[in-house]
Amino acid sequence: MKKRMKKRLFGKKVAIPAISAALLFSLAACSDSETSSSKSKDGKDSKNEIRIMTTAYTPDPPSDDSPVLKELEKFTNTNITMNWVLDSAYQDKLNITLASGDLPDVMMIPSKIPSFVSAVRDGAFWDLGPYLKDYPNLSKANEITLQNSAIDGKTYGIYRARPLGRLGVTFRSDWLNNVGLETPKTIDDFYNVLKAFTHDDPDGNGKDDTYGMVVSKYNGPWDIMQIWFGAPNKWGEKNGKLEPDFMSDEYMNALKFFKKLYDEKLINEDFAVMDPQKWGDPLMNSQAGVIVDVLDRGRRADEDFKKSNPELTEPIDILGAVEGPKGLRSLPTAGYSGLLAIPKSSVKTEEELKQVLTFLDKVNEEESQKLAYNGIEGRHYEVQDGKLVLLTNNDQALINEFTDLNQFHMGIPEDRFIKPEMTPVREKEQVILKENEKIVVPNPAESFLSEVYAQKGQQLDNIINDARTKFIVGQIDEAGFKDAIKLWRSTGGDDYIKEINDLYKKNKK
Amino acid sequence: MSMPKMHNTPGGRVFDVFNFILMGLIGIIMICPFLYIIAGSFATEAELTRRSFFIFPETFTLDAYKYIFSTDTFTRSILVSIGVTVVGTLVCLFFTFSMAYPLSRKTLMGRSFFMNLIVFSMLFSGGMIPGYIVVKSLGLLDSYWALILPLAINPFNLIIVKTFFQNIPIELEEAAKIDGCSEVGIFWRIMLPLSKPVLATFALFYAVAIWNDFFSALLYITDSAKWPVQVLLQQIIILSQAQLGDAASAGASFVEPPDQSLKLAVVVVATLPILIVYPFLQKHFAKGMLLGSVKG
Amino acid sequence: MDSLKVQSVDTVNPGYNAAKNANTEIKSEITKFQRLKRDKWLYLLLIPGLAYFIIFKYLPMWGIVIAFQDYSPFLGIFGSKWVGFENFIDFFKNPDFFRLLENTFILACLDLIFFFPAPIILALLLNELRLQAYKSVVQTFIYVPHFMSWVIIASITYIFFTTSGGVVNEIVSLIYGKEINFLSAPEWFRPLIMGQIIWKESGWGTVIFLAALASVDKEQYEAAIVDGAGRMRRMWHVTLPAVRSTIVVLLILRLGNFLDTGFQQIFLMSNSLNRSVADVFDTYVYFVGITQGAYSYSTAVGLFKGIVGVVLVLGANKLAKKMGQDGIF
Repeated sequence: MKKRMKKRLFGKKVAIPAISAALLFSLAACSDSETSSSKSKDGKDSKNEIRIMTTAYTPDPPSDDSPVLKELEKFTNTNITMNWVLDSAYQDKLNITLASGDLPDVMMIPSKIPSFVSAVRDGAFWDLGPYLKDYPNLSKANEITLQNSAIDGKTYGIYRARPLGRLGVTFRSDWLNNVGLETPKTIDDFYNVLKAFTHDDPDGNGKDDTYGMVVSKYNGPWDIMQIWFGAPNKWGEKNGKLEPDFMSDEYMNALKFFKKLYDEKLINEDFAVMDPQKWGDPLMNSQAGVIVDVLDRGRRADEDFKKSNPELTEPIDILGAVEGPKGLRSLPTAGYSGLLAIPKSSVKTEEELKQVLTFLDKVNEEESQKLAYNGIEGRHYEVQDGKLVLLTNNDQALINEFTDLNQFHMGIPEDRFIKPEMTPVREKEQVILKENEKIVVPNPAESFLSEVYAQKGQQLDNIINDARTKFIVGQIDEAGFKDAIKLWRSTGGDDYIKEINDLYKKNKK
Repeated sequence: MSMPKMHNTPGGRVFDVFNFILMGLIGIIMICPFLYIIAGSFATEAELTRRSFFIFPETFTLDAYKYIFSTDTFTRSILVSIGVTVVGTLVCLFFTFSMAYPLSRKTLMGRSFFMNLIVFSMLFSGGMIPGYIVVKSLGLLDSYWALILPLAINPFNLIIVKTFFQNIPIELEEAAKIDGCSEVGIFWRIMLPLSKPVLATFALFYAVAIWNDFFSALLYITDSAKWPVQVLLQQIIILSQAQLGDAASAGASFVEPPDQSLKLAVVVVATLPILIVYPFLQKHFAKGMLLGSVKG
Repeated sequence: MDSLKVQSVDTVNPGYNAAKNANTEIKSEITKFQRLKRDKWLYLLLIPGLAYFIIFKYLPMWGIVIAFQDYSPFLGIFGSKWVGFENFIDFFKNPDFFRLLENTFILACLDLIFFFPAPIILALLLNELRLQAYKSVVQTFIYVPHFMSWVIIASITYIFFTTSGGVVNEIVSLIYGKEINFLSAPEWFRPLIMGQIIWKESGWGTVIFLAALASVDKEQYEAAIVDGAGRMRRMWHVTLPAVRSTIVVLLILRLGNFLDTGFQQIFLMSNSLNRSVADVFDTYVYFVGITQGAYSYSTAVGLFKGIVGVVLVLGANKLAKKMGQDGIF
């Protein structure tokens, strides 16, 4: 025993200093090789190379040898190197990439975060405004969305288009039939539907086990509904000056309506604490009949219902907005999700910039969009009688060959990929998306970058959102809400108002 | 440790019964939610929506697991996690114990300076970006070492190990010296064997820390083939929470939230391998009697 | 004893301390050089660890200067604007500062009072279980919650405690006659947070104490039994002292991040109705800082918390030494 120990001891005795020396040495060696390799990267100027950094949502995004990516490379005549970053760490990774100075050719910027804005102001990214007109697709970009996505009035990134009028109401259409009501057209109708869903036994089981609408901790539904009442979208103009929405009378009216819903138990009493992940459950369990959210929720709910309750033929219907005192109004989304920006440090000359823009323009072509959204014809899908037929059979490996490739697609001027077969709800969704676009209420301050908001925005929003919830559940009254506004003003709201109005004036000129 | 057989007073017996029941109750309360997660991962989506809590699913389905293992993504990431955890734990133990031992010798010159250095580093940190730049300039990006070396010593663990070493009676060391052992010899031949339960404890601590770490991988590993399983878990949890934002930007990504059963199955797949480690190490804790017997 | 005293008067400046320390050592019979030579193998053992601390902890430490800047990642440390103490002044002058301090402080104290001893008590009770297999099973069970993410725990908490059909509330209304708004009532926020953290981490926390208890000497127990000591007295006089040094070290280290509250947990459990008590430094930094990418601000708050930590650790260490414990230095 002792002998063995000694032997081992000897081995280890040498091992420790050897390991630590080797380790230090290898660390030093590594850093050498790294610098040399990054130099060789800088030396690249072979024409059609492009490095794209964007979000990945699947844990297995398409690798460089994905057949779909290969096709896309062929189509765009470009060698694409993807730099996938899982969206859970995207913002951190973005900031780190900005800090490290080794920027890709195309960078997806999820929103106008301060670090991007300051980099833009320091001249790190190309102003794309003057160039877009030269490209067949990019030149057709939506003016309003371009403006919304601009920084200091200039285009530093090409937006990834998303539907503007994507928010609306999802409801149980079979329940509506059961209680003998029509699809609600006005706020009063909407209220009556909620009331009937709560009291008139819409599921016909003879038990008082349903309620009108389910709301969670997430504030979105209130934001969507108060627009119906005529409240402005974030900022409203009053006497030539911009005022935050919650100072308007319409906002107060909406708030009183919400309170009424709560007091009459037409919405779930625990909404203020409800886990947003459980938000959809009461609808799926036939406890609640209405959800106000993105329209896609209706489509999803419809498909899920048909799967779990095949006896229901038309379980779900959707609508865009109901009419209030100022007519039909709907809360818009920003119309885009993220920007594709081009750094000057990696794309050095105007010539190179034009190459990148040519690539980005080409990506909007039908063929490229189909690759990114549908895959390769004959491998991932087929078109039979004009209908999309999936060949993937839920084979995840096959699907992973192209999922997330749409993360650097812009959809400008429009979506050109093949949409799946239309169910009635899907069809309606498309109609409502178009209709909503006509009734959306723009936020006049959408494109303004406020320093105060960048610093204290979340805190300011919390004050108002909390007061709204407290008002609804009856913890504060109208005076209490006014006090919250006072607190908001003193916490930095006054500076915020001033800043936004200065920007507004400057912008008007 | 196993209790020596000893006579028990009636009061002691009451205590035993009470303690037995109490511990059982606590054990059940603590394991229940995990049982729900396991049950939920085998349940249908409809059941998960309808029943808020259950331990046995009404309809048993393997769909979520079939989906998970339909590609080699998860298998691969679990293997990555296991590999990184095993190597990482050994590296961490080496760094921690080799540093803790000298620091436990009260006669070591500069000891207090080193200790200050360590404690100071616990309280202040340079933050994420400088950390990234260090890892990058060491050429560790996209290398598994980036998941190990930055975690090689947890100062907290180091200090506790040092305290354990300090509690080993000095006489032992002196006896070894007389026998002609060098300092390093004492460390390897006496201190390490004596601290087996401590080694087991910190092996567990490091293994769990490395296994659970997803942030390093998110920052340092771009090659998706090298992602450990916690990255996948994190991603699916974030996706299922995707609704937190303001309505105007809600769901901007077009990505559908994952099924609940899938999420729970990922939790199970990402957690079970590391959970198994503990019962395995448990017997080494019991061997801690060694240390006690030396002490006496 | 003399040198001990010197050691305990620690300063934030480690270099100064070491020099002072070394000075006192010279007084001993052998010279500095002799001692270095004698301990050369020990120093060798130190090298890998020291290299680690220098490379991974101290090299990145320059990042702290961004607390005094208006840092932008693209501009880097050299290009960003210096703002002096502006971030700190902003933080302290914020009208909410005292409410945040109060909330953070109360949670931190509750944590020390309720959560810190929980694993010790649990370990002592586990240690008294006689059936070995039973003990192993219970141990394994109670350590599982540590591996669950806060997102999932928050979700399960909601399921159990909601007033719309949560099991806990159904039981409460049976006994008490009406439901309690555990999730929204500000007065229930802190108990809920404590309950969650004890549930999640106390089982895991026992691991270290069980390892320490493994070193308790059988003979000491037997001696205690011969002396006629009952169960409680044995626990108090034999078992507890065996883990005392571990407790002291853990306590001192815990004080180092006294003001750290579990961000994710609190963030997930807070809502519009309980935010008055749920706002703590960590959530505040998140709301004003990280969501907006303001690194400077969060670094400044981190620096502030670190300084508080230094004061507490040094104070506690000194106190521990006065009470005859080893402390951590």
